[in-house]
Amino acid sequence: MGETVARLRRLLRQAEVVAYYLAVAPLLALLPASLAYRAACWRGDWTFRSWPDKRNEVVHNLREVLGEQLSPAEAERVARDVFRIRSCEVIDLMLLRGRARSLAKLVEIRGREHLDAALAEGKGVILCSAHSGSYLCAFSLLHASGHPVTTIGRWWWNYPPGESSAERRIWDFVYARRVVRHRQRPNIEPWPGRLKVAVQAASALRGNEVVTISCDAPPLEAERARTTEVTFLGRQAGLLPGVVTLARLTGAPVLMAFAHRSADYRHQVLDISPPVPMEGETAAAFGRCVTAMDAAIRENPAEWDFWFEPGDLASLGLVPDVPHPAAKAGDGTGRKGELQQSSR
Amino acid sequence: MEAVINDYISRELVQDASLLPLGNATSLLETGVLDSLSLLRLVVFIQERFGITVDDVDLVPEHFDSVDAICAYLRSRAGEGAGQATGRG
Repeated sequence: MGETVARLRRLLRQAEVVAYYLAVAPLLALLPASLAYRAACWRGDWTFRSWPDKRNEVVHNLREVLGEQLSPAEAERVARDVFRIRSCEVIDLMLLRGRARSLAKLVEIRGREHLDAALAEGKGVILCSAHSGSYLCAFSLLHASGHPVTTIGRWWWNYPPGESSAERRIWDFVYARRVVRHRQRPNIEPWPGRLKVAVQAASALRGNEVVTISCDAPPLEAERARTTEVTFLGRQAGLLPGVVTLARLTGAPVLMAFAHRSADYRHQVLDISPPVPMEGETAAAFGRCVTAMDAAIRENPAEWDFWFEPGDLASLGLVPDVPHPAAKAGDGTGRKGELQQSSR
Repeated sequence: MEAVINDYISRELVQDASLLPLGNATSLLETGVLDSLSLLRLVVFIQERFGITVDDVDLVPEHFDSVDAICAYLRSRAGEGAGQATGRG
């Protein structure tokens, strides 16, 4: 009986998410931005209230990882922001229509001069980011503004066993299609066994393009042997230092880029850093990138995707690999009940 | 050629010491020696050492699965180059 109710809840949750992406958000995106994002926040608040299992799980994850940084009340507030921001990110996606001018009006790109200076060297640029903020939409804006951008990242819905082809088609239609329209090439997806990935990235860099990569991606089982141990969010985490190898082999500079939302939820900033030094051991060079990611996540914790994903936090070594009781409640986990707003 | 390729892979790409000495026929994919980034390193090495450009379409497992396969591919490319040079000449 309990299982049936849980299944029904999960189905309703998924239906609501699909309806939001397919119908509600496209309509909201036609309204003035202040109204659209306010409505998105209402939907975020409603989800926060009506999905207590996931809310508790997010609060638990925040406290587990940032325990010393967040009081219980602050963790609750950040968790509510997590829900609001995920909801707002769907509006960002819808505003990528046409030449993305509607979104461009709301996003300030800081540090563009670093990107221009790096591209002037002619070896392409690697933009290193985290699964934080509306980073994919921000990269689409960069492309729309004249910088040829290609992303290294996995669309998570493409391969997990059990994911139906209908689900894949839905997410391709509502999500990937909108983002990839503002890309130089389709995503370079680094699944195990795909040998061409790094060469394709190098080829884009040789063409003096911008290649983006999120270095906080949890490693797949097959990738664990190639991870580097780094200090990330106060713990030892195993992350893939491919960005360093790619930079050294191609000579492309690595710039850090993080998107974050302002207090009104509709304006955003994409911060691009000067080049990160790549000298020294791989672990040391990669450590500089991780330090920058760590700082960006701590500064705007609600923007990070993985609070919603206990499995990913466990893969990163940030929480024990034991599901929080809330995760067992069967009200849908992040990936199934809500679109993971990312490619990895 | 085999010795040069084998030496580079053994020194730079093999992480599991139990695979050494590396046989020229050993599968680099099945043993996990070659992944996307190590293939890029190998391609950069080959291009610099042998002065050829490896096209994206040539990046298939058949050409890079073993030292023998890599050398066969390089010889075929060298043959093509010679053929083209002859044709132009």
